[in-house]
Amino acid sequence: MANYFNTLPLREKLNQLGVCDFMDSAEFSDGVEALKGKKLVIVGCGAQGLNQGLNLRDSGLDISYALRKEAIEGKRDSWKNATENNFRVGTYEELIPTADLVINLTPDKQHTSVVNAVMPLMKEGSTLLYSHGFNIVEEGMQVRKDITVIMVAPKCPGSEVRAEYVRGFGVPTLIAVHPENDPEGKGLEQAKAYCVGTGGHRAGVLRSSFVAEVKSDLMGEQTILCGLLQTGSILSFDKMIEKGIEPGYASKLVQYGVEVITEALKQGGITAMMDRLSNVAKIKAFELSEELKGIMRPLFQKHQDDIMSGEFSRTMMEDWANGDQKLLTWRAATGETAFEKTPAGDVRIGEQEYFDNALLMVAFIRAGVELAFETMVEAGIKPESAYYESLHETPLIANTIARKKLFEMNRVISDTAEYGCYLFDHACKPLLADFMTKIDTDVIGKNYNEGKDGAVDNRELISVNDNIRSHQVELIGAELRKAMTAMKAIKTT
Amino acid sequence: MDRLIHIRDLKLRYQQNTVFDGLNWIIREGEHWLLSGPSGSGKTSLAKVLGGLIGSHGALDIRFDPLSPLPQQVLYVASWYQFKNLEGAANFYYQQRYTSLQAKDVISVRGELNNFGAEHSLDPQAAGVLATELGFSKLMNATLLELSSGEHKKLQLLKALWLKPQYLVIDQPYTGLDRESREKLNRLFNQLAASGTQLIIISNHAGLPSCINKFAEIRDRHLIETSGIGEIQADHVPVELSLPEFLQLPPAYTSDEIVRMANVNISYGDKQVLKNINWKIAAGEKWLLQGHNGSGKSTLLSLINGDHPQSYANDIHLFGRRRGSGESIWDIKQRIGLISPELHWYFDTSTTVFSSVASGFFDSIGLYKQPGYKQSRQVDALLVFLGLAAERNAPLGSLPLGKQRLALLGRTIIKNPELLILDEPCQGLDDQQTTQFNRLVDALAENGLTMIYVGHFESALPSCIQKKLILEQGEVKLAEDLFERIL
Repeated sequence: MANYFNTLPLREKLNQLGVCDFMDSAEFSDGVEALKGKKLVIVGCGAQGLNQGLNLRDSGLDISYALRKEAIEGKRDSWKNATENNFRVGTYEELIPTADLVINLTPDKQHTSVVNAVMPLMKEGSTLLYSHGFNIVEEGMQVRKDITVIMVAPKCPGSEVRAEYVRGFGVPTLIAVHPENDPEGKGLEQAKAYCVGTGGHRAGVLRSSFVAEVKSDLMGEQTILCGLLQTGSILSFDKMIEKGIEPGYASKLVQYGVEVITEALKQGGITAMMDRLSNVAKIKAFELSEELKGIMRPLFQKHQDDIMSGEFSRTMMEDWANGDQKLLTWRAATGETAFEKTPAGDVRIGEQEYFDNALLMVAFIRAGVELAFETMVEAGIKPESAYYESLHETPLIANTIARKKLFEMNRVISDTAEYGCYLFDHACKPLLADFMTKIDTDVIGKNYNEGKDGAVDNRELISVNDNIRSHQVELIGAELRKAMTAMKAIKTT
Repeated sequence: MDRLIHIRDLKLRYQQNTVFDGLNWIIREGEHWLLSGPSGSGKTSLAKVLGGLIGSHGALDIRFDPLSPLPQQVLYVASWYQFKNLEGAANFYYQQRYTSLQAKDVISVRGELNNFGAEHSLDPQAAGVLATELGFSKLMNATLLELSSGEHKKLQLLKALWLKPQYLVIDQPYTGLDRESREKLNRLFNQLAASGTQLIIISNHAGLPSCINKFAEIRDRHLIETSGIGEIQADHVPVELSLPEFLQLPPAYTSDEIVRMANVNISYGDKQVLKNINWKIAAGEKWLLQGHNGSGKSTLLSLINGDHPQSYANDIHLFGRRRGSGESIWDIKQRIGLISPELHWYFDTSTTVFSSVASGFFDSIGLYKQPGYKQSRQVDALLVFLGLAAERNAPLGSLPLGKQRLALLGRTIIKNPELLILDEPCQGLDDQQTTQFNRLVDALAENGLTMIYVGHFESALPSCIQKKLILEQGEVKLAEDLFERIL
């Protein structure tokens, strides 16, 4: 199979990368009608599979699960999840031929074998749904021409997809139709209906394309979301230990700091995050992040280039063929880092202290978010897509670090994200070696404001604020957050 | 030196309000107190001051007996509990206990007790004895998420009884407990008192342990000693009731039959929680649902409210339509107003009182849609009726529990639903609020709506109830018509 994106002429590449439309809620007024009475068969019953299925059934749709024979006979967790919640479960042979819509919610790595197994069983004119476009775009999977191929990707872990639904809300979602496989022109209607079934339509839906989703998703997860959070966490922790900060404190400051800092990001973007710092500290964080952006920009560009050219997926698939040798080695090494092995100390750290004593982390996050966003937009990805895959997801990933550090983050994210994360981390740390030699505990470990009188130059502060606030990620972010968190605005009235 | 708690000239402010203005209280050795008073009078605040959980102005002198084997501690047991999963997150939703999931990331009862015992160096055997006495032994392997509200209360009490501190301050210990459990608990309180723990119980209910020998009530920011329970409360004047107009309209029924269940069975793995349930509710009927803690009441109600995944495998008709025939849970919830202790626990209390009530129009936890003009007017009318107009824009969580509950009751009735499900609605309300609420229910009942009411305290039920279903170990023990029995 050839990389789909690389088979396209430049015009069509740009065309597909540029699909990006933040949808109006009126576009969902038909509800689940397009899928009503149809048979929906989900392949795979992990966290996404089970929780999406629970939501869809509660929205009045007909859901069953197709599992591999071994999973059924061995009564594996996927089988238990489905049967104990009273879903119908069967083998591919039993269920796929009856399906109007087959939903593939297995891990990326299994897509080729799963799709090859179900495709011959799928009935004429049915639909295949993905929640990630890797298989279609990077592996070039060719789907039978009578089959419609769509994507619905909730931008949250499966447990959140369920939690928000039962509260009467949903999670932001991305939908797409594969232009090579929309023979009847029904793809978009079905994707919208599926989105309503999972509750996504209440939280903001971005219409994208398979190409735009893959190229931006890979970029985001490798660089800011996982890669830089890992690099920043390890470097910050190691620096504090080197300078004699108590290890339990250092561990806690980093582990929970990323969550507290990115909570401000979630609510009000880079601006809100930077505004949590005092004026002197903000100027310092701005200077550090500008320096970081200069150093790391070539690395971000290399990642984006490798993603666009297909080089990244080619090397990763080599590792798949090799039994994940590199991935498993790197995963083990992450488990052995000092940060991972030092438990968070039993010390109280106030909410503001996480900003004041971890200025360097704030600088890392600003630099990473802006760089990822800028690099994606330069490569032809639309700002809305770039926002989702950079700023929007950063707090979600930071939550996983707060739970159980990097090991947990890498367990929760996909193997594809994890592989890219290690690639970035291994290249980024040496790149920052010189920068880190100049770093001391005033910006990580201790309160930067201590011993300073807080005086700043007005003009300098104004220029820093302007620079932060007028960045494109802030302008587009303000607009999208308004739509996604309409609830927050209502709550405070 | 004797044990003694001496509070002098206690002053406490909460936001703009003065809670205590020079409160005095002496608790002498051998005294066991009952503290009562209306919701919002400051009972919980005073208990938290004793437990050292909040600071205050004034002198607080606590003397322990250094020779006693009991821990030198004032233990405060909240009327509220919170637990987190093993990863430290508390992001739960109330329907979660009904969903079967293989990845168990919530600690078990046994694990929770082991941690508590290790932390306080307690004898594990003693916990076993208490668990047996409270009927808790068979729940040892359950996760905290699987416990019913009454079972959570028991776990909380078990820990306090196990620790045996020198002073035990316990806020609303009877909340959600069935009669048998309340009696058992009182026997355990008496034993505890006999072995040297001094009790300070906060409660508005009768049926206290016999060891209680002192009574007090908080009134006008001061503590007043009384000679028994209810002495001061008796003078409450019933509030004049005039239901907002939109709640006087009869609900628009689309079916004569609200609920029909045939041989309903629910189990998790090997554990069966409901067995062969048959139940029919016709439009306009008012049912009382009772049963011991853990008998399956909440699970039964979750089947009706569209909250239980196993509804789809059972023969259940709701509003004349077979469950799992293409309806969405939002179609069902639209016709139902529900309140339960679980809903309250997992409710987002950072939202305002107005938003909390308005969210009832959309059956959401938190308000994600702007209510229209007419809806906003209705919310405001209901807030006035409930006496919550002054708190309209306050975050729900800043109100005392009784008032929070009242606001959530408002959320339950705001859309004038066809079916009202009131699962222990008066938990945490004081006598006056309970009386007023039950009168409200009776008034609503006159417009012809259908109702299921769950309540342990038989004395405080609305008078409109006509039929009764009793559950025991997941089975229907009795379904009867109260009128027929009286005749």
